[in-house]
Amino acid sequence: MKKRLIQAVLAAAIPLASINVQAADPVYGGTMDVVVQPEPPSLMIGLYSNAPTQQVAGNIYEGLLRYDKDLNPQPLLATSWDTSEDGKTWTFHLKHGVTWHDGKPFTSADVVFSVDKFLRQTNARLRQSLQYVDSITAPDDYTVVFQLKQPFGPFIGLFETGTMPMIPKHIYEGTDYKTNPANHHPIGTGPFKFAEWKKGSYIHAVKNENYHVKGLPYLDDIYWHVIPDAASRSVAYETGKIDVLPGGSVENFDIPRLTALDNSCSTSDGWEYFSPHAWLWINNRNYPMSDKRFRQAIMYAMDRDFAKNALWNGYGKVAKGPVGSKTNFFNKDLPDYEYNPKKAKALLKEMGYDGTPVRLLPMPYGETWQRWAEAIRQNLAEVGIKTDMVSSDVAGWNQKISDWDFDLSFTYLYQYGDPALGVSRTYVSSNIAKGSPWNNAEGYSDPEVDKLFAEAATAYPDSKRQELYNEVQAKLVEDVPVAWLLELEFPTIYNCNVHNLIDSAIGVNDAFGTAWIEK
Amino acid sequence: MSIQTLFYIGGRLIKGLLVLFVIAIFNFFLIRAAPGDPAKVMAGEAGATDELFLQQLREQFGLDQPLYYQLWVYISNLVQFDMGETYRQQMPVFDLIMDRLPATLLLTGTAFVLSLVLGVLVGVIAASNHRKWIDSAISVAALVFYATPLFWLALMAVLLFSVFLGWLPAFGMETVGANFTGWDRFVDIAEHLVLPAMTLGLFFTAVYARMARTSMIETSRADFVKTAKAKGMKPSRVTFRHTLRNALLPVVTLAGLQAGQMIGGAVLTETVFAWPGIGRLMFEALFQRDYNLLLGVFFISSAMVVLFNLATDLIYCIVDPRIELAK
Amino acid sequence: MSILKKLSSNKVALFGLIVLALLILVAIFGPYLYETSPWRMVNRPFMPPLENGSLMLGTDTMGRDVLAGLVYGTRISLLVGLISTMIALLIGIPLGASAGYFGGWIDEALMRFTEIFQTVPSFALAIVIVAIFEPSVYSITLAIALVSWPPVARLVRGEFMALRNQEYVLAARLNGQSDHNIILKEILPNTLSPIIVMASLMVATAILLESSLSFLGLGDPEIMSWGYMIGAARTVIRQAWWLSFFPGIAIALTVLALNLVGEGLNEALNPKLSGSRES
Repeated sequence: MKKRLIQAVLAAAIPLASINVQAADPVYGGTMDVVVQPEPPSLMIGLYSNAPTQQVAGNIYEGLLRYDKDLNPQPLLATSWDTSEDGKTWTFHLKHGVTWHDGKPFTSADVVFSVDKFLRQTNARLRQSLQYVDSITAPDDYTVVFQLKQPFGPFIGLFETGTMPMIPKHIYEGTDYKTNPANHHPIGTGPFKFAEWKKGSYIHAVKNENYHVKGLPYLDDIYWHVIPDAASRSVAYETGKIDVLPGGSVENFDIPRLTALDNSCSTSDGWEYFSPHAWLWINNRNYPMSDKRFRQAIMYAMDRDFAKNALWNGYGKVAKGPVGSKTNFFNKDLPDYEYNPKKAKALLKEMGYDGTPVRLLPMPYGETWQRWAEAIRQNLAEVGIKTDMVSSDVAGWNQKISDWDFDLSFTYLYQYGDPALGVSRTYVSSNIAKGSPWNNAEGYSDPEVDKLFAEAATAYPDSKRQELYNEVQAKLVEDVPVAWLLELEFPTIYNCNVHNLIDSAIGVNDAFGTAWIEK
Repeated sequence: MSIQTLFYIGGRLIKGLLVLFVIAIFNFFLIRAAPGDPAKVMAGEAGATDELFLQQLREQFGLDQPLYYQLWVYISNLVQFDMGETYRQQMPVFDLIMDRLPATLLLTGTAFVLSLVLGVLVGVIAASNHRKWIDSAISVAALVFYATPLFWLALMAVLLFSVFLGWLPAFGMETVGANFTGWDRFVDIAEHLVLPAMTLGLFFTAVYARMARTSMIETSRADFVKTAKAKGMKPSRVTFRHTLRNALLPVVTLAGLQAGQMIGGAVLTETVFAWPGIGRLMFEALFQRDYNLLLGVFFISSAMVVLFNLATDLIYCIVDPRIELAK
Repeated sequence: MSILKKLSSNKVALFGLIVLALLILVAIFGPYLYETSPWRMVNRPFMPPLENGSLMLGTDTMGRDVLAGLVYGTRISLLVGLISTMIALLIGIPLGASAGYFGGWIDEALMRFTEIFQTVPSFALAIVIVAIFEPSVYSITLAIALVSWPPVARLVRGEFMALRNQEYVLAARLNGQSDHNIILKEILPNTLSPIIVMASLMVATAILLESSLSFLGLGDPEIMSWGYMIGAARTVIRQAWWLSFFPGIAIALTVLALNLVGEGLNEALNPKLSGSRES
């Protein structure tokens, strides 16, 4: 316990601005133009936790902690934290002198309200984790105590803005959260204040003069532009209208050209916390996908290196198994499924595959995914698996996955730094339920896997968790419940005059508090 | 205006309202036949979901009610000019549409006038030089623009005028953050308008040019034109007094129909140029399954088509008095 | 026979006819002669035209043969265009003719019906129909036909309204000819030329509409069409001009040929026009 506390205090002593060492000295002032795609449905981050909402609202709202690129917690609204010997009691010490954008003070009552009342009701993902939490109490204005029912390994990873944003109690308590008029004018504690949202055009946020980190932010204001067409977004960047293209906002085919422009920089940092993991859903319920050998044959049939190079410009990494290599508890010793059509054909022959065609449902998220489906269809055809491509829009695609009305389909999901948060949900049998495309939609069920995941989530300490996760990863890689594709990387492209753009594991979804523009 | 004409207009308006009513019902069922529902799409945006969250959303949107009840609620609200709230932005549908409609009207209006004037002019020039090189040149040019996909033309225009030449802005309707007022703002919007209006208008220019040309040539061979010529009327007078007036008939029919349709056609243009109009709003609403918003946009654009059709009929009888209105 | 003769005496129309005939030949026999599947990734992506002897038009974003795509796409683009236009004509002509000829409540009812289809923005309606039935070559053809017929009906109605009081129609009526006969034999032939012009434009519009749907991601994923190729090449238009250029040319050429043939037919079919040409 002592060691952890000291670590936290040390981290707290380092001012936020110096997390990244900069060659030049930051200058104040300037407007930054960023693309947001698609237009967010709302900026109320407690109600909407999708990426575009967080990209904007991450500057307005804050969580108790942030995470550096190695996923170590850093202080933000909490200056330090400590945990009991059994891992069940967590105490957070809040920063003094923090105010909401409307001038009211931020206190422990806000934390208890945000987590226990607001988010427990509205945030489905956090709700899953909060079931391990027995009580949340505020002994004084600047202390919050989380009492867990049992140790929960990923607990300290829950505190970033998108997962656990702080919501102002004085505005929301006792109201209907979804219809509260304040949703249209978000109030947070972040370095930027909401100014205006011209629907269909832009969102404008201005500098918070009373920001609780002295000397920040550097920028005067930020515009997030809504430009619905990918090619137009590229042009906007080229013509200098836009300073920052967040990862995924232009088509992959455009990235080499845009990064080659004068004074254009790019980085694939800022995705460590999410570690987006792409795979091919395989509906395990139906023949021929119910045969393990068929699923393995798919793994051997796919030329994933080609896809990485042709579709993702070489960004990313061929996925070894269910856990991303940047996520905690990744098993380094998994066997490889190399591109090997011969082996695939042999497996198909061994199982006596009769040539039944399978339906392939591409993900309607733009060019790259469509092309990827076409490439995999071709890969499968070459080993003798005939596919019928089914086409759908986002709503139809969602519906088909949730209703299990598919044979093969694509998806990619975030891992949130810990297998208990972002991995087990896809494989445990308790998560087999119609109606959601983010659970165990493939219908894989194995009691041993269930047991290993359950134990690993609450095991203590981490070495014990690693052991259990290694075992479950090896088992899954053998069974191939889904066909893992790539660990995706979405490079952020930006004008080189912008400095310190990304300084945490959530990248552009975090506040641009330390970003500054060279004059 | 005669009493008869007034009665006619009134009758047409009532019929138009009936058509709109049927359309509202038709659209209601059509849109709900699409797979997937708004709650799922919204939940999808939230990144993770469970049944509880979906149920909350459905209750909030009233989607847990039986279909006939939803229809009843929708229609009875619509009669009071209430189009409900959007699921996504949670603001009144009418407000959101009115927010976006001026942009679309500006774009389509400009494109419409541009294409009609230019199209008829070019068509008449071609027809009066029938079988000369200028006719061929115009016909070929019209065909080329007609044959080129609109979005491709749009992208090429951006490439040329924005990227290479740097003359015109590539996207948006105004320079964001510039806060222009008065004349400066007008110029700013006009500059932004050039490319989208051109690309949207060129296609229709080609259509009207072809139509006007064909029609002019045919009419010039009609008996009454021949008679006029034989009577020794000046050729220019024949062209404008007799031929053009009659030849405009099919062009007017087409233009009247397309004025309304341009709003739909603006989806592509608005997407490429990030023009904040209702075409794009509609497209997004469709994929969000934002039923109320989609129905609202359909309804408003349908209402405009009804008005355009009425206008077309009126112009029809001005251009060609032989066609009686009251029938 | 005489129509063909007249057509071939018109050089411009002849050119269109030859191009169209070639396109039809490619559509029918091309896939047999050119066996490389248009989906096969044959070489490295983004290979410019003429760099490799066997890949004359280069490769696309995935290293697929562009020429193969063009050959296979001919069939589908023509089919979608022709079939959807035919369906649209089959709906539009009878409706418009009855409405324009009979007038009164029949006109009223039919025009209200037409108006419903016409009042909903057609491109949006097409998108919704394709979305409901899921993108496939059938739903796309159906959607295009369903949004294309109202202009036909309006046009035919307009022509009928203008012609029904002409002397020769009145004469036929006085002669005791049946309505059916008058519509089919007296009036319809005189409305054919605008219908033909419109139909030739409609085939082209259908091809363009299909490409627009593809552009928005609503194409048939199983079928290589020109529209799909442009849609897929849109994002790389600056790195790889040939990817959208060649299918664009193919579309333009097809549309051009269709229009030239349509106009040629118009002149050949319309005695008034061909008569005046001799004068």
